[in-house]
Amino acid sequence: MGTAEQASNEIIHYLPMQLDFLGMTVRMQTLYMSWLACILTIVIVWCITSGSKMIPGRAQVALEMFFDALGGLIESNLGKEGREKLQAFFFTLFLYLFVSNELGVFLPSIGVHFTSPTNDVNTVFALSILVMVIAYIYGIGRNGIHYFGHFVKPYLPFLPLNLIEEIAKPVTLALRLFGNILAGEILLIVLYKLCPWVIPDIWVLFSLFVGVLQAFVFTMLSIINIAPSFVKH
Amino acid sequence: MIQFDATFFWQILNFLILLFILAKFAYKPLMKVLDERRARVANDLETAEKTRVEAEALKEQYSKQLAEARTEATAIIDKANKAGQKVHDDYVAQAQAEKDQMMAAAKQNIANEKDQAMTDVRAQVIALATEIAGKVVDQKLNSAADQELVAKTADSVLNK
Repeated sequence: MGTAEQASNEIIHYLPMQLDFLGMTVRMQTLYMSWLACILTIVIVWCITSGSKMIPGRAQVALEMFFDALGGLIESNLGKEGREKLQAFFFTLFLYLFVSNELGVFLPSIGVHFTSPTNDVNTVFALSILVMVIAYIYGIGRNGIHYFGHFVKPYLPFLPLNLIEEIAKPVTLALRLFGNILAGEILLIVLYKLCPWVIPDIWVLFSLFVGVLQAFVFTMLSIINIAPSFVKH
Repeated sequence: MIQFDATFFWQILNFLILLFILAKFAYKPLMKVLDERRARVANDLETAEKTRVEAEALKEQYSKQLAEARTEATAIIDKANKAGQKVHDDYVAQAQAEKDQMMAAAKQNIANEKDQAMTDVRAQVIALATEIAGKVVDQKLNSAADQELVAKTADSVLNK
């Protein structure tokens, strides 16, 4: 943990800790922040739902409205079955991304430099590839080998284009989030160095907004990427 | 941060654990509450609709009964009015008849009394006149012819 002074002297401050896992490096700063995001997500959801009542409080109403809205989006893209099976996944995905994105806008001045776990390509690719794996599991599970038929649609010569598109889906999904969050954090630190008053605060507000927006965009595009698996081929 | 390494796998694991925890301890209770509430609202709405239909039926029934009662009451009042009128008419007719009867009887009595009085007066007049006349002429007028004469005279005076 660095002091505020140390934290602000680096563009993105990482703990010097790294672990080796099966000959590969594990970036502990990302993992610490992920765990923090997980814990915060659980705490937030627990606080809201622990007292789930038949007649709900305001927080519970808000959560239920969000839950219903997200459920509606899932149902319109994946159908009723898709909603039943994947609502929990998308709900968790959105909340986790939301908390992760907002973690990065904590100011270095609190003494500990929080970063978003989503400013690491490993995190965003882990999620986007998980989404594609789920899409393939459901696609093959529901349609068998015919699921791969959509690679040669409308004609066989479209195979390369379709393959590129299939690869581009998780890549763009991941990089969109990664770029937005990393750029936001770097710019925040640069702004602190250029002008320590007012302007970074405005940028913090904007980053908060971007965090919500990107979490929603990632969730929405994940739903859309999984949608073809719930269509009969 | 822009290098792929083992963090990737850890992040997948992280997310799956988070998904498991939330699904088990948050999502399920929340869904349960939502489902329960949905069921209760549906049930309440159904009950409300049922009660409303029952209330409508009751209201209809009451209106019908009220209308029937009103008709019946009108009929009863009409009947009572008619009965009252009849009793009134009967009494009036009876009274009239009694009055007529009493008047006739009274007239008859008066006529009888008058006749009786006339007869009594006539007898007394005859007797008196005979006596007076006898005294006036100082002789006895007791023959049948005298009596006949006095009677004629008395009758002509009385019938004057």
